[in-house]
Amino acid sequence: MIKVAVSGINAVDNPGPGLGIIKGLRQGKIPVAPIGLAYDAMEPGIYLDHLVERAYLMPYPSEGEAPFLNRLLYIKEKEGLEVVIPALDAELPLFIDLESRLSAYGIKSFLPTKEQFRLRAKDRLQEVARRIGIKIPQTLAVTSIKELEEALSELSFPVMIKGLFYKALKAYTPAEAQQYFYSIAAEWGYPVLVQEVVEGEEVNVVGVGDGEGGHFGLLAIKKLWITSLGKIWTGVTITHSGLLKAAEDFVRAYAWRGAFELEVIAQDEDLYLVEINPRFPAWIYFAVGVGINLPERLLAAALGQEPERSWDYPAGKLYIRFTDDLVTELEVFQHMVTRGER
Amino acid sequence: MKLNRLAISEEGFIFDPETGNSYTVNETGLKVLKALRAGQSPSEIAEALSEEFEISVPEALRDVEEFLESLKRFRLWEES
Repeated sequence: MIKVAVSGINAVDNPGPGLGIIKGLRQGKIPVAPIGLAYDAMEPGIYLDHLVERAYLMPYPSEGEAPFLNRLLYIKEKEGLEVVIPALDAELPLFIDLESRLSAYGIKSFLPTKEQFRLRAKDRLQEVARRIGIKIPQTLAVTSIKELEEALSELSFPVMIKGLFYKALKAYTPAEAQQYFYSIAAEWGYPVLVQEVVEGEEVNVVGVGDGEGGHFGLLAIKKLWITSLGKIWTGVTITHSGLLKAAEDFVRAYAWRGAFELEVIAQDEDLYLVEINPRFPAWIYFAVGVGINLPERLLAAALGQEPERSWDYPAGKLYIRFTDDLVTELEVFQHMVTRGER
Repeated sequence: MKLNRLAISEEGFIFDPETGNSYTVNETGLKVLKALRAGQSPSEIAEALSEEFEISVPEALRDVEEFLESLKRFRLWEES
């Protein structure tokens, strides 16, 4: 039984990928005992003991490296933790920094390098897109209202106003653009990005790079129905040859290691790169459901085994997310609050 | 041709495996799509429709062209 810790077990309206990863691991051939890493005692995954065997509260990554490492070593001591699969952007830099130390303590992972992780910054998309032969929507980085006005005069409305790493709002007027500029700058800092809106199909591809230019499988999808937060609720598999080639070129060009997701807009034959996520997306169970168990393959890679690489899948498989209810004892919540674990 | 990649069901449900988009067509639309895929020209299709539905060839051709306009709008058809 491999003890694997997985974070992102916050299956809420903006769900983390953790439970999808765990479902995949449980359906794989490698026997696992999943341990949930949570940042809040209310994260639903804590209470789903048919998926998550044990759950631990983690210190916020912003508290620094020492408390984070100590907590993981504590879990190692108590549970015999062997592998960790981090699934949240905010914790990834810490896990990447700690990867070799954790490995020395017997906690394996399979993560992008620091340099690969930096590629997700939106001001790096241009160079990535150019290198893999696709486009990006015209994007201008601005740090003041004057620069914002200049950028707006070059683009036509609507425009996207984006933070360097997070958040994207669509502005239809200069007043709206200004308001979003201030709110994104206050929350995520400078520069703020002003981006042309490209009309087309929003498509996504998920995969796991082997770190040597190859990969352990890809899956391309289109989101058919999204929530008000832009999160997938219904989706369908697609076999967009240009998109899949772009993903393979991406993995090859950067020798990508670990999970990734590319968000792309397809306009006829043209592809526009919109976002790179250096981790599994929350809909990762879709890949498992069509027979490409990427979480299990990543686990195998972390364990130093050679994962499967086949990734034939049919177009037209449907993904349906749904809500569910659970009634349980207050005791579980009590343990999480008082002991930080259950 | 983009039409060749479409999955077309006998019920008139059309799925584009590249974009993930789906469409529905009626019985006549289904006939036209299949004929286009078989390489028939719009005027050949109009002639067949005019015989089947007992309408004039120009009238049938107008309907076929209107249908082609819709396909163009969905970027499924390009004039060769």
